[in-house]
Amino acid sequence: MRWFFRRIATCLVLAWAVSLVVFMTLHIVPGDPAELLLSTGGIAADPVAVKELRIKLGLERPILDQYLSFLGGVARGDLGTSLVDEFPVTKEIALRLPRTLELILAGTLLAVVLGIPAGTYAALHRGGLFDRIVSGAAALLLAIPVFVVGTLLVLVLAQMLKLMPAGGYVAFAQDPAKHLTLLTLPAIAIAKSLAAVVFRMTRASVLDALSKDFVRTARAKGLAPSRVLLRHVIRNSLTPVVTVLGLHMGTLLGGTVLVEYVFNWPGLSTPLLRAVEARDYPMVVGIVLTISGLFLLINLIMDLVYAALDPRVRAA
Amino acid sequence: MQFSRRTLIKAGAALSLLPSPLHAQPQANILRCGLSAWPPNLQPWVSTGASAGTVKMLTYGRLVGYDKKGELAGEIAESFARDPADGAWVFKLKRNAFFHNGDPVTSEDIKWMIEQIAGEKSTAYMRAQFQMVSKIDTPDPHTVRLHTKEPVATLPHWFGNYNMGVISRKSDAANPIGAGPFKLAGQERGTSLDLVAFDKHHKSGMPKLKGIKFVVYADENLRFAALQSGDMDMIEYVPWQSMETTEKDPRLKLDAEDGPFMDVLFNATQGPFADPRVRRAVAHAVRREDIVKAAFFGRGRALEGVPIVEGTPWYDKELAKGWNYDPERAKALLSQANLAKGFSCKMLATAQFGMHKDTAEVVQQHLAQVGIQCELQLPDWSTRVAMGSRGQYEISIHGVSGDNNDPDGLSVVMDTSLSPTYSRSFGLKAPRTSAAFAKGRAEFDHAKRVEIYKEMQRAALEEVPIIGLAWRSQGYGMDKRVQGFKTLPGALTTASGALLDEVSFG
Repeated sequence: MRWFFRRIATCLVLAWAVSLVVFMTLHIVPGDPAELLLSTGGIAADPVAVKELRIKLGLERPILDQYLSFLGGVARGDLGTSLVDEFPVTKEIALRLPRTLELILAGTLLAVVLGIPAGTYAALHRGGLFDRIVSGAAALLLAIPVFVVGTLLVLVLAQMLKLMPAGGYVAFAQDPAKHLTLLTLPAIAIAKSLAAVVFRMTRASVLDALSKDFVRTARAKGLAPSRVLLRHVIRNSLTPVVTVLGLHMGTLLGGTVLVEYVFNWPGLSTPLLRAVEARDYPMVVGIVLTISGLFLLINLIMDLVYAALDPRVRAA
Repeated sequence: MQFSRRTLIKAGAALSLLPSPLHAQPQANILRCGLSAWPPNLQPWVSTGASAGTVKMLTYGRLVGYDKKGELAGEIAESFARDPADGAWVFKLKRNAFFHNGDPVTSEDIKWMIEQIAGEKSTAYMRAQFQMVSKIDTPDPHTVRLHTKEPVATLPHWFGNYNMGVISRKSDAANPIGAGPFKLAGQERGTSLDLVAFDKHHKSGMPKLKGIKFVVYADENLRFAALQSGDMDMIEYVPWQSMETTEKDPRLKLDAEDGPFMDVLFNATQGPFADPRVRRAVAHAVRREDIVKAAFFGRGRALEGVPIVEGTPWYDKELAKGWNYDPERAKALLSQANLAKGFSCKMLATAQFGMHKDTAEVVQQHLAQVGIQCELQLPDWSTRVAMGSRGQYEISIHGVSGDNNDPDGLSVVMDTSLSPTYSRSFGLKAPRTSAAFAKGRAEFDHAKRVEIYKEMQRAALEEVPIIGLAWRSQGYGMDKRVQGFKTLPGALTTASGALLDEVSFG
């Protein structure tokens, strides 16, 4: 139990450190939110109006005062309001985070559906035509940047063939079919690298499992090949695949920026990018804190699972 | 049945001929229009960019606007004129102008609006201008009389700005009640805005559309893809590289005008650029056509003088070539300034917008030819704004537009007597140019104004408060069925969205 509380305390300290670093760094970086807001479109802002807006937004207060107010708000579950339109940051995150998570889940699902069967088949037919072609394709997919794939998908499927919409978003409740259609291309773009990783991991793990004694024993016992494959080979091969998948999904939380931009998917990355450009301090800190919090949560859960599986971890 | 490679290719090609149910289907008489940016907010008088301006003009309406030729025209005001008796500007309001809550637009609403804009704690874009209003009379519900501290010939233009929405004095800060041709019916935050036609709009038969759905596409290529794929009926800011494709597409049309321009700004507080001869040398050292080709794919025009729109009475063919490309003259001017061997400096621009970076690179190359070695500084836009406002540069590249097509609309860019901002030169004094702006603003005789602004151009060519580089084309792309829209000329291109009330499907 003591170990558990120590882990929780570590997470809280890390979250505080993230908030401090992000808050202070943002204030050090040049750029005045009030001036940027009033000069949107490249026009000259009246310095008197800029000063008035700074006062209104509370930017004239000492930075420590601003930070303490922010921390007080966090303690109450309030991340503040946007400097641009006074929209509550927590509401913005609640609106956007599910869309990003949906995109990541859809991409991951696609990667799993494609990567695991392909990896298994390639391992079972090692050196064959399929193995060579798909291994080459996986290397290619890993090498091509996501924005290139995204742009190509839009160019070919939307602009040339006019088979898919170019991008955008419609809420699922409003039009489920259109929602899923619009989700398809960004999910493919997210999945392309992940599918390649899953394919390679699965292929390597299955090859490794196939050479194990327990597989040879199972075969020697006279079990049907399909049963050996499903119950002994694949089942034992998936552990490293799931670990890698988990790590990649975590990375994708902050890594969907390009995909969301290219496909106009209004997830969490879009307001983060816009907030950084506008120096919208509460929005940036709130979103970064949320992403970091999710990372820490995933790590905490993994630590707890490892600890449950292996008592030596708790002892350490 | 056997599937050959050829069968598969044929099947793939046939797919493109099928009607696509996956695309956004147009709704009857609702225009789907792609915006380039999500409006940061819809506060009626705060500057929030041209995309927000389009939405604001359509939902709030304005006292005056511009017709398709770019001439001032009454909107909520049926007429406006100066009373020669006391010099007041008199605006007569339409009797059939209503706010979206059904209340009539009255002179008291306009008075309240001006007082809010000019207030001490106001953050309105036109705050400084309206602080010149000394008295507002409302003799009846349909007449507003504005007295100014000094005579202002260009006052009606102030009301034509897209940050001059007309809202009811009954509005609260979160819910402005406008009087525009459309009402805001809903929005998907960060994604789209839905407008519906206001049935009591003061223009007879307007708006012609049942509604407008604005969808935000921040990426210019995706915005164009949405137009080309049929997801949108119309988009703003067609990327320059896609203008030719738009023109060649049998389903689409392009309506573009040269409006905003690129310019060079200086920090004249110290160093070589404090000397106007050096600034003139810079002006003569740059071949503008290279900028038009490199930054705008040929979609623009060289700008070798003060940015006065061609075809207006203020334009002078000779003065417009006052900073023509002449590297020998540039070298001679540097020699006169005792800088014959050249010098090194830092040039500020931004890498965030390709047109700024590309323009800076071309200017850098040309300046090197006359001995001025520039080291480029290309931070993100926010940092560039901060550095510009603080004068943390020697020479910088900027892209801007005047407030309107009257030469006075250029004072925001060229009048060095105004307070420092990143979009004007820093610490530079051009007293003759500033004096000409003030004189022109106070003069009501058209012929005299023409002469004053020619004098302003002559002064600016010598004092060099900025250097014009290139006009850039700004265009709307649309389906050929979209009728009735026109991109406004010159500095008004960004206000063209107001004309969406005249759009219909042919």
